[in-house]
Amino acid sequence: MHSPESEDDDRLAAAFAARESWAFDEAYRRFGGLLYSTAYNVLGNADDAQDCIHDALARVWRSPNAYSRSRGAVRSFLVVCVRNEAISRMRSLGRRARLTERLAAEPQEHDEIRIADPIERDRLRTALAALPPEQRAPLELAYYGGKTHVEVAEELGAPLGTVKSRIALGLRKLAAALGARQ
Amino acid sequence: MSEHIADDAALYALGALDEVSHRRIDAHVAGCDACAALLGEAEARVAVLAAAEAQHALPAGFTAPARPQPAVAKTASSARPKWRAIAAAAAAVLVFGFAPSAYLWQQNRAMHDSMETENAAMRQLADGRFRTATFAAMSDGSDARVMYSPDGSWYVVIVRGATKALQVAWMHDGERTMLGTAQPHGDVAMLYLPRSHRMDQLALVDGPAVVAEAQLAY
Repeated sequence: MHSPESEDDDRLAAAFAARESWAFDEAYRRFGGLLYSTAYNVLGNADDAQDCIHDALARVWRSPNAYSRSRGAVRSFLVVCVRNEAISRMRSLGRRARLTERLAAEPQEHDEIRIADPIERDRLRTALAALPPEQRAPLELAYYGGKTHVEVAEELGAPLGTVKSRIALGLRKLAAALGARQ
Repeated sequence: MSEHIADDAALYALGALDEVSHRRIDAHVAGCDACAALLGEAEARVAVLAAAEAQHALPAGFTAPARPQPAVAKTASSARPKWRAIAAAAAAVLVFGFAPSAYLWQQNRAMHDSMETENAAMRQLADGRFRTATFAAMSDGSDARVMYSPDGSWYVVIVRGATKALQVAWMHDGERTMLGTAQPHGDVAMLYLPRSHRMDQLALVDGPAVVAEAQLAY
């Protein structure tokens, strides 16, 4: 049975796929905070995060085939679009070193109000720590290090196919652990 | 159809693919529902991770991105063409250039992207979703503007009262990069420029001389 929330998501997904203007506004209204946080967590700068969101969403909206219903939730589609745009910017700016230090470092204080959820962050760290090392290492390098799978394979000295499958498996396990709410 | 994406879905969602592979997957999932669903699952997993990271409040003054606007009713015309009418004409030119080349879509991805940009420019011009900068007054009485996308993906330079062709240049770092020529049609000269980055200063050039400059804000 569909909950009212999931029916709402379905309606938004259908309208977004049909490129109805209200869906663009509604998606931004619902997910703007998450998109901003996603961009900020990669770029570490409010102006860059805002530019990143604008560019990513503009690209989505001017590409008729960017999103279809079979792609799933609009929320996760947009999160990945924005995050990939942010990573692309980081790569082009050659500031990857800042990313690699992020996992160990505590988040920096900045002007905006940070809505921290220590329980969520603890769950993330716990779930990461629970992964087998051979899955955790490539996943951390890809997610937090912003590295391509080729770079990850080179850094770990592992075959490309092995790295691909370990990253995919690690991501599945990590998301399953985080998705299993108490 | 290209091969299915398998484990590349996770790499795509994590941003761990190079640009070429990323675009290959974009093209593939546009026509493969099974792989689109697989990619959607991987994206949902990455979204779980993103939501579990530190969340930040939107800063004050954060503005929503532009989106398509409903058509605006036409206003009264005057003897001299209104800028809005010129923008619509520019949109028509882009439509005209777009349609004959549509059959190339499946042949050339780069051409497809270019057409998407033109199509987006057309819609933004027609909807009024663009920014405008004015070139400083020119000595021959003509006036000129540049209408451009907020993300720097396209620019349209239009000169009213044009008496001859003028070159358009990007002024940057003390250098001048020639971009093309605005050719007059009647008393209006126009040049459409698809670009991949924001340009903050343009100039109209006649021979060796810069006749007017415009500062572009984003």
